[in-house]
Amino acid sequence: FDSKALPRPLDGDVEPKSFAEMYPMNCSSRYLRLTTSAIPNSQSLVSRWHLPLGAVVCPLAEAPDGEEVPIVNFAPTGIVRCRRCRTYVNPYVTFTDGGRKWRCNICALLNDVSGDYFAHLDASGRRVDLNERPELSKGSVEFIAPAEYMVRPPMPPRYFFLIDVSISAVRSGMLEVVAQTIKSCLDKLPGCPRTQIGFITFDSTIHFYNMKSSLTQPQMMVVSDLDDIFVPLPDDLLVNLSESRTVVDAFLDSLSSMFQDNVNVESAFGPALKAAFMVMGQLGGKLLIFQNTLPSLGVGRLRLRGDDLRVYGTDKEHVLRIPEDPFYKQMAADCTKCQIAVDVYAFSDKYTDIASLGTLAKYTGGQVYYYPSFHSAIHKEKLRHELARDLTRETAWEAVMRIRCGKGVRFTSYHGNFMLRSTDLLALPAVDCDKAYAMQLNLEETLLTTQTVYFQVALLYTSSSGERRIRVHTAAAPVVADLGEMYRQADTGSIVSLFCRLAIEKTLSYKLEEARNSVQQRIVKALREYRNLYAVQHRLVGRMIYPETLKFLPLYGLALCKSIALRGGYADAQLDERCAAGHAMMTLPVKRLLKLLYPNLVRIDEYLVKASSMADEFNISRLPLMADSLDSRGLYVYDDGFRFVIWFGKMLSPDIAMNLLREDFATDFSKNQVTLCENDSEMSRKMMAVIKKFREIDPYIYQLCHLVRQGEQPREGYFLLGNLVEDQTGGMSG
Amino acid sequence: MAEFLDLETQDAVRMPWNVLPGTKQESSNCVVPIASIYTPLKPFPSLPLLPYSPLRCRTCRSVLNPFSIVDFASKIWICPFCLQRNHFPPHYHSISDDNLPAELFPQYTTIEYESPSEKSNVPPVFLFVIDTCMIEEEIGFLKSALSQAVGLLPENSLVGLITFGTYVNVHELGFAQIPKVYVFKGSKEVTKDQVLEQMNFFAKRPKPATGVIAGVRDGLSQESISRFLLPASECEFAINSILEELQKDPWPVPADQRATRCTGTALSLAAHLLGACVPGSGARIMAFTGGPTTEGQGAIVSKNLSEPVRSHKDLDKDSAPYYHKAVKFYEALAKQLVHQGHVLDLFACALDQVGVAELKVAVERTGGLVVLAESFGHSVFKDSLKHIFQSGDHDLGLSSNGIFEVNCSKDIRVQGIIGPCASLEKKGPLCSETVIGHGNTTAWKMCGLDKATSLCLVFEIVKKEIPEAIGQSANSQFYFQFLTYYQHISGQMRLRVTTLSRRWVAGTGSIQDLIAGFDQEAAAVVMARLVSFKMETEAEFDPIRWLDKSLIHLCSRFGDYQKDSPSSFSLSPRFSIFPQFMFHLRRSQFVQVFNNSPDETAYFRMILNRENVSNSVVMIQPSLISYSFHSSPEPALLDVAAIAADRILLLDSYFTIVVFHGSTIVQWRRAGYHNLPEHAVFAQLLQAPQDDAKIIIKERFPVPRLVICDQHGSQARFLLAKLNPSATYNSDIPAPEREILFTDDVSFEVFLDHLQRLAVQ
Ligand SMILES: [Zn+2]
Ligand SMILES: [Zn+2]
Repeated sequence: FDSKALPRPLDGDVEPKSFAEMYPMNCSSRYLRLTTSAIPNSQSLVSRWHLPLGAVVCPLAEAPDGEEVPIVNFAPTGIVRCRRCRTYVNPYVTFTDGGRKWRCNICALLNDVSGDYFAHLDASGRRVDLNERPELSKGSVEFIAPAEYMVRPPMPPRYFFLIDVSISAVRSGMLEVVAQTIKSCLDKLPGCPRTQIGFITFDSTIHFYNMKSSLTQPQMMVVSDLDDIFVPLPDDLLVNLSESRTVVDAFLDSLSSMFQDNVNVESAFGPALKAAFMVMGQLGGKLLIFQNTLPSLGVGRLRLRGDDLRVYGTDKEHVLRIPEDPFYKQMAADCTKCQIAVDVYAFSDKYTDIASLGTLAKYTGGQVYYYPSFHSAIHKEKLRHELARDLTRETAWEAVMRIRCGKGVRFTSYHGNFMLRSTDLLALPAVDCDKAYAMQLNLEETLLTTQTVYFQVALLYTSSSGERRIRVHTAAAPVVADLGEMYRQADTGSIVSLFCRLAIEKTLSYKLEEARNSVQQRIVKALREYRNLYAVQHRLVGRMIYPETLKFLPLYGLALCKSIALRGGYADAQLDERCAAGHAMMTLPVKRLLKLLYPNLVRIDEYLVKASSMADEFNISRLPLMADSLDSRGLYVYDDGFRFVIWFGKMLSPDIAMNLLREDFATDFSKNQVTLCENDSEMSRKMMAVIKKFREIDPYIYQLCHLVRQGEQPREGYFLLGNLVEDQTGGMSG
Repeated sequence: MAEFLDLETQDAVRMPWNVLPGTKQESSNCVVPIASIYTPLKPFPSLPLLPYSPLRCRTCRSVLNPFSIVDFASKIWICPFCLQRNHFPPHYHSISDDNLPAELFPQYTTIEYESPSEKSNVPPVFLFVIDTCMIEEEIGFLKSALSQAVGLLPENSLVGLITFGTYVNVHELGFAQIPKVYVFKGSKEVTKDQVLEQMNFFAKRPKPATGVIAGVRDGLSQESISRFLLPASECEFAINSILEELQKDPWPVPADQRATRCTGTALSLAAHLLGACVPGSGARIMAFTGGPTTEGQGAIVSKNLSEPVRSHKDLDKDSAPYYHKAVKFYEALAKQLVHQGHVLDLFACALDQVGVAELKVAVERTGGLVVLAESFGHSVFKDSLKHIFQSGDHDLGLSSNGIFEVNCSKDIRVQGIIGPCASLEKKGPLCSETVIGHGNTTAWKMCGLDKATSLCLVFEIVKKEIPEAIGQSANSQFYFQFLTYYQHISGQMRLRVTTLSRRWVAGTGSIQDLIAGFDQEAAAVVMARLVSFKMETEAEFDPIRWLDKSLIHLCSRFGDYQKDSPSSFSLSPRFSIFPQFMFHLRRSQFVQVFNNSPDETAYFRMILNRENVSNSVVMIQPSLISYSFHSSPEPALLDVAAIAADRILLLDSYFTIVVFHGSTIVQWRRAGYHNLPEHAVFAQLLQAPQDDAKIIIKERFPVPRLVICDQHGSQARFLLAKLNPSATYNSDIPAPEREILFTDDVSFEVFLDHLQRLAVQ
């Protein structure tokens, strides 16, 4: 089909409205989005739907002011739950018997209302205290959990840093930036005064730091027997931040100078990871890994791979995208068991095997941050911003998540960064607002008899303040017998999210091509099914027709296939970059994923030359992602939520270029040497204000500006043209 | 006596026999072996120091000496040992009868050479190895003692630091930013190569593919070495701040367990570090430990407190499961240290045993110092440590890298040395087949030696009976030459040469000559070293029986008596106090080991084996001085009879000095008379023994324990244990005014009776 004829999502993600209107007590779509809000009543309907049936959940999504999740404390009554299916009390339960009983909306059991929770019912059968009971009126609520929800006292926020100090870590400036950033965040770490912190550094040896509060400065303890790693101190390697603050400050102040002359090129990463695990073992927390050199010594050592062209297109291709050494998956499993979430920051200028390292984040609810060829002159601000966000955003600790649903339907698979404990319990050592999880749904019976299906997401976690809490999101969806209704209630964003995760998972066992094909085929099948439903009726033979809700699906599907994680073959993306993109996409909430797939392309030169306009007045008017959108007299900003590409047209007024870049304009843009920074011109100030505004829209990440001049190859191709998904060339070499 | 002291003053040698039995048979009849106790570095006020290298005999390598026969005309000297004729080199051509080089002066039988070209450019190295498994109080004591010691180190000396407990921490003192340690598991054996690898010695300079890594010359960069060994002047601050923050070993110890302490592994790492960084140059490992080794190599007991540390009884019954393994480990460590030329000093301060008995081999073979005390807060430890680093009259004169060699006349063989040294396995015709101590060699390594270090050399006469006529015509002198190469504290290499000549006698009538040459003090000390050595090395050895038999034989041979008439028995004044020495030796800590722990026994013997004759005699038979109004201080018999109510006694048993107040003195003191001006004399009497004790303490290393006690007080046992029990509760007529000892030991009178009876049989 002709992609240029497709409707374009130039207004970004469009959340389905009708659903929220139909069920006003449902939780907000920022927490839970079903792929269709019309649940099919039969297996045959499911098979004709062709698209994924499921949901995307972002349990801790940031809420705008005034829409915070209310906190409910049931003590001493205990949390009200269904005796049989353990559903939490929610707006959809019904009270009967004058208020003495309540019926579970998920399993229909009639439960007793305990004396403490009793309230009379009014004439319409509603409890008289309904207005004081958020759990009975709001789709999202957070319960304070009593002691029976704890296997141990709630843990304090705990941050443990495992930092590469080999020569490249030092020379790239990574070490210095990391040390400075951590120090600048110490006052903002959540959970003060209970927050705990600790450090290990490593090269060919492993360095522990005694941070005992009575010391005037930390003591460095080197353990070098990589085959027999041990912890040199029983305590004081992971300390209370406020008690040991001066020691921690002293450590961070001297960290980069301690290793400034280090010439060690080796990385005992595996043993160092084991060491960190031994320190955190029984405690849990977040483990932040800063990795610059391919692990070369001891257990978990990795080798260069991925430059073997011949395996592409064969059955072995996928092996490059999964960890080579079972050590990484085993460590991840051990970490999850001990409530340790791993974030991997990778900086190498060479192959660093994100496929293996990323496994650590994948199974522990962590995240992969990838800064290829990190150099502090270029990446300093980016690393600073992202690390600071990682350290200071509100984080939920030692969490488990379960999604319940009514009789007849069942969640069958889960997709994202977590470890599945039992069949339906997601273990999440740490969760934050930037993480989303997707899951697929199936019918258990051939025919659903209920009118409505209820979903309830429950996240049991420890807050940074040390409270055990349960965040509960509840939603209802109607059961339908009409395929058309399913399509009308479809949510493209949710569908794309699920497609994306399924496709990336598929690349771990199949060729890239097969992953792409399966996405394309399902979209085609779905559209064909829809056309079969309506084509005759609308007499629209020979034309594509789509339901309004799915009008952007073909383009998003195309964009997904052209994303870094899935695109082309060997030559179309560096293996590490591809794996890092895959890891990122597995965790993204819907909106961010859609923006990554179909980025903003905005022309900006006209605004810059307009007299005395302010950044606020700048209207983002998005352009289709095709080369035809680019006028060689213009200046464009391309923003995918991860980076900016600033495209300078060949015929762009030299005045603008001079104003923005001064003398740098004359030089080569390659090697990222030229950066955009504010200078003493009105135009530059305006430009930077716009950039700043763009960054504020996406606070999760710090977008670096990549400057590209029209016709400058291969930069232009790599940064921009390859990403213009609507073009024939975009993202495909073959 | 005086003449023997004169000989000692000239050559630092004491010999039991100063006139030697001339034949194998006669020497074996002498019972006490031909031996010499030699103090190689004994200071002499007028010792000549020759600024050139010595002349040596072409064949036997002995050094030109006053006993050489010189033919001035033909510029030839004849070696007294092998009779080889040697030409003088050209620069000696101006010598003549009245232009002698110093080494030929008759009075310079002991002389030193210092060749200006031989100077070590590595300053002395001190590697502190510190136990942290102690209560905070003990750590506090140790910290303050050490920081004081660090302040006294020679400016140029290199210093390193290792602390240990459950793990071993090797401190990288040269790391400027923060304190940094390399941590090693206490339970794990590490090789030198692993140590080098794991401590990043090859970070900047790759490891050589072949050959032994040995300091800057072979394989290591100065930069990598000076991370761990820094000049004292540069790292004093760093060490002091580490000491300041030094904590008790942090690993929890269950109530029914001993701390996990890996002394052996720590010492092994120390040895590897020195072996890699400064092989062959003077370096000392100074180990400070406060309890038994329970972890890793060299463990002496399990962690389980219900299992006691081995006793002499356990060792006797061979039921000390850790002992042999630990000794084997320390033997290997000793071998390594000797090979590297490094010293192990041991400072053991604990109420419990720490394993001195096992460590002894390593300390003794490297010539290390040893101090045993109950606590790091005790003056025995504190003052001894200070003594090591103090300069002035009583400084120890620590030297290093010594090699000791012996030459002697061809009719004499060397059986071995009992003392702080290790064999260099230089075999030759001079070696006897019978070995005593470190034998089968004529050269020994003395990694550490000082002014007091005294070796006991045991010889054997091999000359067969010879016809009278030939005997007369032959040279009737035996010659000995002791060569000591060592690194002076200045860094210069020196050679001290002592050449001795002793007359030998043979045949009838020679017995009076032998008697005249008998040095009974030296003989007692040789017997003490010998009996200790035999107790340690010979299974089923009965020391009392052996000493008694030896004494009886000696008295039979050299006593004056009519057969079977005990009352007729008498001994020459040369022998007269020898039985008394043997009596006290039988009762001493060297023989009656069951009164002490194996650690204490090992300690006493190590000190005995390094001390000179007069100090050793005090260990065998303490000296006792009596103070009273009636006379000036006078020596008293070491007998319970010396105790009197109006006297003060000063007992010096070497390890302990006791000031003992008679009961009347105690009453007066309690009444405060010494504070009254009219009783100034009493104050003086009270003060005098304490002043004398202070003088002894000042000169002695290790510093002795000072006990000031009163008659009938509990501390009085330190005195009573050493006294001859002439009046015991067994005595027939106990004199009521006398002190009575509750002991089953025989008194000296009974002992002497038996001796006379047996000697005349
Ligand atoms: Zn239920
Ligand atoms: Zn000769």
